[in-house]
Amino acid sequence: MYEPRIIGYLCTWCSYTGADTAGIARLKYPANLRAIRVPCSGRVSPELIMRTFDQGADGVLVLGCHIGECHYDTGNHRTAKRLPVLHALMTFAGLEPERLRLDWVSASEGERFARIVNEFTEAVRMLGPCQWWQNGNSRQQLNHQDSLESIPFSKLGG
Amino acid sequence: MSYTLEIQTKARELLTSKQVECVIGYEVGLRGRTRPAFVYDAQDVERLVWNQACTHNLTTYLNDKLNPQGPVKNKTKEHTPGRVAVVVKPCDSRAINVLLAENHFPRELLHVIGVVCDGILEKVGQSGNLRSVRQLPISDLSQVQSRCQRCEGHMPVTYDTLIGECPSHQELSLGKANQADLIHIQAMTPAERAEYWFSQFDRCIRCYACRQVCPMCNCPTCLYERDDSLWVGIRIGLNEKRTFHLGRAFHLAGRCIGCDECERVCPMNIPVSLLNRMLAKEVEALFGHRAGLAPIPPPFVTVLSGS
Amino acid sequence: MKLTTREGLASWLDSLAHEVNLIAPRDIEGVLLYRPVKSSMEIVLEFINPVLSVKEAFFPATERLLTIEKTGQQITLNETLPEGKQVVFGVRPCDARGLKVLDANFTNTEPFDPYYTQRRSNTTVVGLACHQMSPTCFCTSVGIAPNDPGDMDVMLYRVEDGYIVQTVTKKGQALLSALPLETKELSQNGSDLHNSYIYDQAERVPVPEMSTWLAHFRDIYWEQVAERCLSCRICAYVCPTCRCFSVRDEVLSSENGRNQYERIRCWDSCAGEAYRRIAGGHNPRPEKGQRLRNRFLCKFVYYPRQYALGYAACTGCGRCIDACPVNIDITEVMQHIEEVSQ
Repeated sequence: MYEPRIIGYLCTWCSYTGADTAGIARLKYPANLRAIRVPCSGRVSPELIMRTFDQGADGVLVLGCHIGECHYDTGNHRTAKRLPVLHALMTFAGLEPERLRLDWVSASEGERFARIVNEFTEAVRMLGPCQWWQNGNSRQQLNHQDSLESIPFSKLGG
Repeated sequence: MSYTLEIQTKARELLTSKQVECVIGYEVGLRGRTRPAFVYDAQDVERLVWNQACTHNLTTYLNDKLNPQGPVKNKTKEHTPGRVAVVVKPCDSRAINVLLAENHFPRELLHVIGVVCDGILEKVGQSGNLRSVRQLPISDLSQVQSRCQRCEGHMPVTYDTLIGECPSHQELSLGKANQADLIHIQAMTPAERAEYWFSQFDRCIRCYACRQVCPMCNCPTCLYERDDSLWVGIRIGLNEKRTFHLGRAFHLAGRCIGCDECERVCPMNIPVSLLNRMLAKEVEALFGHRAGLAPIPPPFVTVLSGS
Repeated sequence: MKLTTREGLASWLDSLAHEVNLIAPRDIEGVLLYRPVKSSMEIVLEFINPVLSVKEAFFPATERLLTIEKTGQQITLNETLPEGKQVVFGVRPCDARGLKVLDANFTNTEPFDPYYTQRRSNTTVVGLACHQMSPTCFCTSVGIAPNDPGDMDVMLYRVEDGYIVQTVTKKGQALLSALPLETKELSQNGSDLHNSYIYDQAERVPVPEMSTWLAHFRDIYWEQVAERCLSCRICAYVCPTCRCFSVRDEVLSSENGRNQYERIRCWDSCAGEAYRRIAGGHNPRPEKGQRLRNRFLCKFVYYPRQYALGYAACTGCGRCIDACPVNIDITEVMQHIEEVSQ
């Protein structure tokens, strides 16, 4: 039974604390989310997100402080600029647009956090497993050894 | 006076008066192929030419010449920078603005010989992949490279010496070619798009020629070539190749000036410029920024305006 | 001399494609490459030379050498040797000579490379003589010829009525016995074979002596030519004899405490700036001129000397000349070195 694996990059000062707030208030949100705490959403670089998809994530959620509330003043400005462009690029390359989402959650917004994670998980669940990473070294396999079928690629560990 | 003579005359003047120590231009090699030339001596200026095979973007050599102490991805040798002159087409001249905006070298060290260009000929392939370029006058649009067909500015955006005359609008019938190939891909479903790109990157051999020829790709160690495989492994495999190309395209968003040399040098005819063009449109739509028209930083370096 | 018709060849190739991994020149989106084919219809028969050489079928761009499994303290290694029979069809004499050059390093010298060697012994090389030389070909200058069967297992020569088939080695004979090609005896004798191939005898390119190359080691020429070099790797990757590679251990999946890694090797090139950098950060060839010089000297001095080849490691295929984005031309370099030594 397919359970989407969602990676969430949560900034320390706002969205990670927002997740805590949701926990304290006993709000339910799907366990599919694996939270990775970063100092600021501005730390989330395009190569990091692409690596995440390369390693088998079904969806990537980037949550930062609201604009104007960043602990580092303008860190989230970088994210606000970068992510839409990265989104356009990866969509152009064949990723379903619903699999990557950027949103803003402040430290007190536990409900908002839970709602976003719920929405996102359901959207990704409906799309099925992510086909971004594909098995096989090449399309035109020059010799038999090129296919990697012997080792199963288990997504992100058991 | 023909462009060739004008360039030679200017080069002679610059070198004799010691205003520059090197002129970077084009020459024709023994096989009749045009290639980059580095002239240090006024006696050698007759090597310099201008023709419709001058496809190379010579600004890619500027970092090495003008900023050798700084991060250089492609060192010739250790030396202290002197002034250089470089022959640029309108597209190449935009690269200078991007390099200036990123503080690679001071403008005073550069003498820009800008050429008014009406298009560079497409590489002619023969079986065996020979890259010769026909030395013929342009009689119809289709012989000119696609990037030239899309060119919107036939005047260099920055120059110290101008070769040729500012074109009037009637003379230049090279209009905007449509970006039909972009639209075609954007109309596909995600699965079709993914398949398209996999089939293109399948041929890629990670020779990195696209990266090496680009003036804007100047990281001393490319993120995708790290010894610790942090962002991508060294496997010359589908997933890795796609990550490299997408990542490189992203790093060029708002900086790529559309010379399409990356596509020209690719030995496997991979349509690399599609990614760069798509992002250029995106960046223009989101931030109103077009690379290279002025020496201002690209959008990702600055904060949101009004904040 | 045996002759086969076009149809005979096509049906032979079809049955070959069923039995083994048949690799032949194919048009992949406008680029000619040696790739596996399922039928003779996919094969391009009129061509000069594919973009990449046939070395790819023996020394692939990426190869898994072994897998490593680590569970707790227990480590298991698994060699992943190539399997399966191959036939490479449509090989030109320059590429076949390239294989002989690679053999000197991978197969004929201890420690020999089991991956390359296994592929080499599992593969039969079926050559196709060239009908013309391209402007950048110079195989005749380095001791081979466009119709030279010397390094093949089976050699084909296209003539008006079909193809002349020449069995060169025992391996070639074994292939033709297992999968016969429909032929009939030719009434003409062998000399007509070569007469049907008339080559534009382009000016021979001088091949300087090893000592001549070395005498000009410190010339400023190298720096001048390399000034336009982009340090990409195209020349090495398209070359039939360049064989440098990089080996790295990379992570595969990990599941329930069972960590998996693979050791892979990939093509690399001395033209790259990082290639010769060693632990500690020192790089003996930080400048482009040094790297360019190294590549040429490797072809004409180091490699032939180290393996006592008896000929240059360059096979005159001309791919590097075609592919170099800035027109760095090996024949120009050879001519220059010869000239300055006069």
